[in-house]
Amino acid sequence: MAGALLYLRLTSLRNLVVHRLGRLRQPKYLLGAAFAVAYFYYFVFRRISAARNVVSLSGQDTRTAGMLAAGAICALLCLIAVLRVAYAWIWPPEKPGLAFSEPEIAFLFPAPITRKALIHYRLLSAQFGILFSAIVITVVFNRSGFLGGHRALHAVGWWIVLSTIDLHLNGTNLTLGRLRETSSHFLLWRVAVVTAIVLYAVAVYLSVAGPVEGYMSGRGARGLDQLSALLNESTAVYWITLPFRIVLGPYLATGYRDFAVAIGPALLVLALHYYWVSGSQTRFEEGSIVIAARRAALKGAAQRGESLKLGRKPKALPGPFPLPPRGLPELAFLWKNLLSLRSSLFSRRALGIVLGVGIWAYFGLKPLMLAHRMSGGNDGLGFLVLIFCGIIAAYTLILGPQIARQDLRNDLPNADLLKTYPMQGWRLALGELLAPTAILTVVLWVAILAAAAAFDSEGNLAWLTSSVRATLVACVALAAPIVCMIQLIVPNTVMVLLPAWYQASRTRGGGVEMFGQRLMFGIVQLLFALLVIVPAAGAAALVFVASTYYVHNVGADAVIATGSALLIFAGEAAVGLWFLGERFERFDLSSESR
Amino acid sequence: MIEVEALTKQYGSFTAVRNLSFSVKSGEVLGLVGPNGAGKTSTLRCLAGIIPATAGKVRIAGHDLSVDPVAAKRALAFFPDEPRLFEYLTVRQHLTFVARIYGVADYEARAAPLLEELELSEKADVLPGELSRGMKQKLVIACGLLHSPSVMFFDEPLTGLDPLGIRRMKDSIVRRAREGAAVVLSSHLLHLLQEVCTNVLILKKGDKVADGTLADVAAQFSNGEANVSLEEVFIRATGGSES
Repeated sequence: MAGALLYLRLTSLRNLVVHRLGRLRQPKYLLGAAFAVAYFYYFVFRRISAARNVVSLSGQDTRTAGMLAAGAICALLCLIAVLRVAYAWIWPPEKPGLAFSEPEIAFLFPAPITRKALIHYRLLSAQFGILFSAIVITVVFNRSGFLGGHRALHAVGWWIVLSTIDLHLNGTNLTLGRLRETSSHFLLWRVAVVTAIVLYAVAVYLSVAGPVEGYMSGRGARGLDQLSALLNESTAVYWITLPFRIVLGPYLATGYRDFAVAIGPALLVLALHYYWVSGSQTRFEEGSIVIAARRAALKGAAQRGESLKLGRKPKALPGPFPLPPRGLPELAFLWKNLLSLRSSLFSRRALGIVLGVGIWAYFGLKPLMLAHRMSGGNDGLGFLVLIFCGIIAAYTLILGPQIARQDLRNDLPNADLLKTYPMQGWRLALGELLAPTAILTVVLWVAILAAAAAFDSEGNLAWLTSSVRATLVACVALAAPIVCMIQLIVPNTVMVLLPAWYQASRTRGGGVEMFGQRLMFGIVQLLFALLVIVPAAGAAALVFVASTYYVHNVGADAVIATGSALLIFAGEAAVGLWFLGERFERFDLSSESR
Repeated sequence: MIEVEALTKQYGSFTAVRNLSFSVKSGEVLGLVGPNGAGKTSTLRCLAGIIPATAGKVRIAGHDLSVDPVAAKRALAFFPDEPRLFEYLTVRQHLTFVARIYGVADYEARAAPLLEELELSEKADVLPGELSRGMKQKLVIACGLLHSPSVMFFDEPLTGLDPLGIRRMKDSIVRRAREGAAVVLSSHLLHLLQEVCTNVLILKKGDKVADGTLADVAAQFSNGEANVSLEEVFIRATGGSES
């Protein structure tokens, strides 16, 4: 049986590789692959070569830094693993299930195969992904520059870590599922599990709180290396983190000898996990069917160009503003697309991200703000905020259009319906672009306002009075919406011109050539941003210089220059909208598949 | 109401519809039939202004579709076989949105009986994700009928409907035709077409094989037999195969 299952996996893998190689005959995939290979060569493999050179030069300092880096990585991994494992124990799924695909379920579940063989098959299948991940992580996060050791040993270390986590999560899933089905005291079991996890967290806190507090207050360890040594020498910390140390041992080994010592216990833990999972008698079939259906739905949604949702039902919300039946039809699209945006904004994931960023900003910026207050404002924080705002603005203009997709791109499945509406193409395109334009504009305005508030030039720039500053902010803010709209026209036009490319690039489908295609879209967006902004900015600069000779008022000069830039932007936007609308009217997705 | 002259649709070198001409008058229901790949959907999509015709002329309610598409589209409604809806808009919000697009001032007064007729009143505030396929199809129909179109194109309108829904749909099509609408209906359900249609147009590989009233077309392929069914006519007209 194992042979048949292995045959299925290996044959599928071979066919996948052949298919991927075969499609390189199409220029779009070949170009994408060339882009991706060039990217990996220049940004990943050359860095590895550079890191190898560091090894030969490494001295005590480098080694200390390496130990610290490894310690930090170890602590972070432990934290992530603990959180993930704790989550699995605290919130088990309603029905225990293993990750099979729908065809696997269709063929294997009715087949004369024991449940144990199915578990083996699942574990074997996972190994392909785990091995690949271990190799990729080893290549990308190469740390041999710091600690030495052979890269293959690190790959084995990663394989043990990932395999153990995979087995543990499956074991938790099946064990709790079994308990839910068979034990009348399941609630008690859960209470016990949660109590144990809370006790473990308290023990970790108590064992590390002393040294960390001493370090923070300046009374204990002087440097991070001393803190790391203190924690390493603590008996309590040693025993509490022992299971994780064992699993991480091969990865952290600095040489063959350390590796040989560490590999035995790690493999023993792995084998115990394997015994635990493979011996499970849990009925996982129903849960597996649910998982497979959900994965297939996600994949299908991605291929159809619809938004991805995992186990989340959209919620009906009132419209963002009253929409009377008469008036500009473009506003109906703004109304509709803002409605979809609000549904996404109120997702748990979005709220989690906002909460995470908020917590990070609070703890990360608190020391900076305190220092800023104590320094009387001469510590360069204003400059830092300015840089930060500049980065946010640049990301909004370049990456924003790829993220804010509440436009034609999200409505691609409804293209036929949209085309029956009694509207000219350019008006339909304008309506569709209003919502993402509004979103990106708001982000830009926040960045502009924050930059204006942070930029304190008192005494340095006499001409930059508060009224001039307000005028400049107003000018930039005025240009923001139209620049955002032009930037949004780019990906929408790409979608209409090359729908097959666009669809392929937005699905989660793998392959180095797909990665290259996504990279190319990013570069096109960047080039287009330059192409659009440079003429307008150049014209504005010329007008500004000319105006200073006649007007002698910086604020007025800025307004005149902005006016000239806005004229050019408006012309560019008009041409872009007309072209997009024209192409959309002629767009026929069905002909793309012929 | 619908006038089609020498309509041709090509996809690259492939010709989906070739030199097709016909007309549908007010009150007529034209059944568009043909084997798979005959060009029915391409024809309907060209007539609804979804895709441009490669050649030929289409006039909807007196407006040339290529010259004044906005006016032509204001008069028509297209009902696709697969209900495509906006996933974050409730049933009622779909109608609000469509009302704004078509400028239907009294849409609330029109929407209520439509929702009632299509049994969607109780689902007015739910999202499409919570609707069955048949319900989604009904919502598409409600949206299409909101602006009281004088020309209607149905592409496999009964897919996904339950028997009662099919019966109501047939009645609805017939009633709207009697009220003066021109209807084109594409379906493989020949018994449906026989019940509902006044005229029939048979396509095969993009060419018109037959066009006329049901009686005329039946007579053309009856070989002197009496009471020949549309199914038999279809088989004889198309040679019983796709090729």
